Amino acid sequence: MANPEPLKGGRRGRPPWPASPPPTSDEVYGNLAEQAREYPKFLESLVHPDKAFNKPEALDRIRVLDCSTGMAIGHWASSMLAELGAEVIQVEPPGGDPLRQLTPFGRKEYMLKDAQRGEPVGLHFLHEMRNKLAITLNLEKKEGRDVLKKLATQVDVVIENASPGQWDKWRIGYRQLSKLNPRLVYCWVGQRGQWGPLKDKPGMRDPVAQCASGFVHGTGDPKEFGGRPTRSGMWVADHVGGTAAAMGIVAALIHRERTSGKGQFIEATAAEGIIRILDYDWVWHGMDGSIRPRYGNWDLAINIYAVNPCKDGYMMVGGGHDRLWYRIWKTVGDEVPQAEEEIIADTNLRNISERLPHTRQVKTYTLLCEWLKDNTRAEAERKLVRQEVASGGVMAIHEVAEYPHFKYRKQVAEFDDQLYGKVLVASSPNLAEKVPARLKWVGRPVGYDNDEVYRRLLGFTRGDFDRLGRQGVI
Amino acid sequence: MLLKCPKCGVKNYLDPYPFWNFKGKTKCAGCDTFYAVEIATGSPMRAPRPINGTPKDPDLLLPGFADTPDNKPVMGEGKTRPAPRARADVYGKPKPIVRNSRGRLVAGRPLTPADLVGSRARYVVEGKEPK
Amino acid sequence: MAAKRKSRSKSKVTLSRGGRGQAGGDFERYCRQTFSPASVFAKPEVLKGYRVLSCTQYILGPSCANYLGELGAEVIKIELPRRGEPMRHSTPGNEGFLYPLSRWVPQSGTGLGFFGANFNEYFISMDFHRPEARELMYKLAAKADVVVENYRPGTFDRWGIGYRQLREINPRLIYVWLGGFGGWGPGRVRASYDILGQAQGGAFSITGQPEELGGSPSKHTIWLADYWGGMMGALHALSALYWRDNVSGEGTFLEYSQVHGVSRQLEYALPLYGRFGVIRERWGNWDTELCVHGIIKCGKSSYPNSDNPQEQEEGYLLISAYEDADFARLCKTIGQEKWMRLYKSHDARVRPESQREIYAALEAWAKDKTKEQAAQILDRARIISQPVWNAKEVASHPHWRERGSIFWLDDPTYGDVLSQGPAYKMSDTPPRVKWALKPIGADNEFIYGKLCGLSAEELKRLEAEEII
Repeated sequence: MANPEPLKGGRRGRPPWPASPPPTSDEVYGNLAEQAREYPKFLESLVHPDKAFNKPEALDRIRVLDCSTGMAIGHWASSMLAELGAEVIQVEPPGGDPLRQLTPFGRKEYMLKDAQRGEPVGLHFLHEMRNKLAITLNLEKKEGRDVLKKLATQVDVVIENASPGQWDKWRIGYRQLSKLNPRLVYCWVGQRGQWGPLKDKPGMRDPVAQCASGFVHGTGDPKEFGGRPTRSGMWVADHVGGTAAAMGIVAALIHRERTSGKGQFIEATAAEGIIRILDYDWVWHGMDGSIRPRYGNWDLAINIYAVNPCKDGYMMVGGGHDRLWYRIWKTVGDEVPQAEEEIIADTNLRNISERLPHTRQVKTYTLLCEWLKDNTRAEAERKLVRQEVASGGVMAIHEVAEYPHFKYRKQVAEFDDQLYGKVLVASSPNLAEKVPARLKWVGRPVGYDNDEVYRRLLGFTRGDFDRLGRQGVI
Repeated sequence: MLLKCPKCGVKNYLDPYPFWNFKGKTKCAGCDTFYAVEIATGSPMRAPRPINGTPKDPDLLLPGFADTPDNKPVMGEGKTRPAPRARADVYGKPKPIVRNSRGRLVAGRPLTPADLVGSRARYVVEGKEPK
Repeated sequence: MAAKRKSRSKSKVTLSRGGRGQAGGDFERYCRQTFSPASVFAKPEVLKGYRVLSCTQYILGPSCANYLGELGAEVIKIELPRRGEPMRHSTPGNEGFLYPLSRWVPQSGTGLGFFGANFNEYFISMDFHRPEARELMYKLAAKADVVVENYRPGTFDRWGIGYRQLREINPRLIYVWLGGFGGWGPGRVRASYDILGQAQGGAFSITGQPEELGGSPSKHTIWLADYWGGMMGALHALSALYWRDNVSGEGTFLEYSQVHGVSRQLEYALPLYGRFGVIRERWGNWDTELCVHGIIKCGKSSYPNSDNPQEQEEGYLLISAYEDADFARLCKTIGQEKWMRLYKSHDARVRPESQREIYAALEAWAKDKTKEQAAQILDRARIISQPVWNAKEVASHPHWRERGSIFWLDDPTYGDVLSQGPAYKMSDTPPRVKWALKPIGADNEFIYGKLCGLSAEELKRLEAEEII
């Protein structure tokens, strides 16, 4: 049997997005009593992303120079800031960031070309190039570093990810740039850190940080179920570390404006982003030497709170505390009374924390699946949501893209870009009454904004462009 | 799938992930009877039937858990599959801990009102191990 | 094109390896001094004087307020009287608890699931929907900068303590609502938890071992949609504070849906589907865009004599050799010179069928090795690798200890606990952890006295009536 392909489908036989139009406001709220309709409609009018451009931006006085290359964490951090209004200038080496070339399984046909130059760019890179200006600068040349020093006086934030100490050695590190621009917020990002015993260990792309933080050991099915440690499908540590970096940057800006008038040095790593949020792993280990085992799609600390197989896929059901616990079993009992009776009769399952040991989770989920096996994701969800139980199926990407709630809220939205045409994107989740995040453009080809940025910030002339271009500096 | 052993009444829990699609043997944790089981997408294709077997059979998969009709656990080596464990001595009850893994005081055991100073454990505040 | 590629690969070499021997000891000394965990408390805090009310439960809302607390805000966590919030009753395997749950219930403990989402906070109790509690909320909100709330949409509004009411009292208030699906749209009534966010946001379907290896879609081990979602909320709240204090002077309302957040992380999945109708699937421990860049199984355990099942397990190792030169050295090292011809270009080796063959051969090569032995061989050949570390290996590694990312915290209430440190470091105003958590209502007297002017007698009465 041929192995299934990890990319499924293709345009053939599949209608273009959206397969069905998003629901209208009438369809959503029409059947509700006035009282029930009032609050959601108030919220919708308050934060609907369609109104984003009527509103100010939180960070629009801020200019960020993102010099990170070849690694996703810096790009992620700067795209968070760009969505919230900062002017982000993405600095790439001449020829472009190597991440531009990434495309799933090397499939060049899945790269997009811009309308002006027809230059292909991978979708992964493009998705985090939003709202940014693209310039090129070769920092390996002294002339390039001189240009950077000038740029650094014009910006509020610099992000870089060179090898530890590389920029310092080049005399464009925090110690040097902060003398040129004392208000500069300087952020180094990386996988494991620029100081400490692991600083020189190579490896710059996720899942390096996922492996080094304990994440991979804890993800996937337990060995007892035949599983192995598993990485996230995404470069998730870069996303977490990048968000942490953005948080540090905005915090430093607050401090600068409010108190010190000065910038500072920030360091954020993908591994430490994950370590910070790895639940109870460290405190548990410190108490009695426990090493968190993998627990598949169940949860060591909450029962019921898991994904289990059902008739047409995988189904999440969650309700740890008593009220929801009994509602879930009532729903199950309507169709499989035996399962509900087994649960109710077992005094070991009456107390919330006594349901947690593995043996009781086995019992819980085996009985729950007696019901799930005859219910599709949609059926199970309908029945459980009636009881206000959090539940839902595991959705494949096309189901995410077509889910009416997401389409209605523009969570998944097609953006008509001036350069790349219609691109389906995940919009920023940061909605707001007054300072929402927003999408202005999807991305730029290599060095697209050289002319505009270098003229505006450094007063470059035609002659400068010619000379630096010839020298391979920009 | 729930396999209630007709011989001894023990309920064997054939947990969903390993047993969702399964063809092979399992063994009652109560009376050690082997059963031929065939399950497709969670439903038995035919009723489990007793069969000869040995604990070494490659197609044998033990239940994830089992208990008696009055809900007393039936477990142990060779009876049910082991749990994923964080330590060798996992036992699923609140574990009273006074000293942590490096031997210092930590408030990891139940207290009485007399054990408290305000909202804190007296023995941690005073730095003395409780009796 | 050739010239371009050359310059690219050159810059890559500098970036990924240039650190070796280049970073002067001087710079590292400077960094150690600048970011030293020992000097954190000698430095000021960014959010000194800001007050945050955390009307939250589980992880998403609490962690959002917590990140502001790490930056120095005075965070007041408000829980229901008696039982507190549900996360206090959540602990792995029903084993580890920190006692007491509260001074009223000393025989119960707080589960470890609560740890890490409520650092540095003051804990008070309040039954929000009682009329007297509403008056207390107004007094608190009048003096707060941020309210973080994650009850079901509209609940606080119904109780008279939502954004519409509080903005009348305090127009400078940043009101952060975080939740599952958001408060409007067809799915607004749906409740959500982290794992549902992962399932419906799309991350679940692209994580896990592929079907051919017997795997299923998998959840991320961490409460990712919660803990990271809280970070997104905190980032937005910080930005809104920046805007309030430097631009407008106005408060605002922020809405964060965790399902939405998860979709934001899907990388190329949505544009790929939108343009080409192609559905991204899970690809196990390998990478869809890079090869070699995957995790393999090494046949031997690094700790065969340990009695801990987690240590008895075989080792796993990430091998990263996607650049042509690295790949060539890898082929030589494991005796697969024929690959240098077969998979000369990255495009050739990143195809699914090539990946299957390459990783199978790598696992065969590592069958008789521990992860450390395999890593050592690869190190000598200058090939990038990273062992898959378990919680103990990470917690005891000097790198994370020296950097203060994992450290022993002398918690005033609960004693000596091993804790994670903040996710990022700052030279002048470092975020910090002061205490891990406190029992329910531990700060009732302090906070209600300080901010609401309650007398001793009133406190006693409200407590007896279970309003606080």
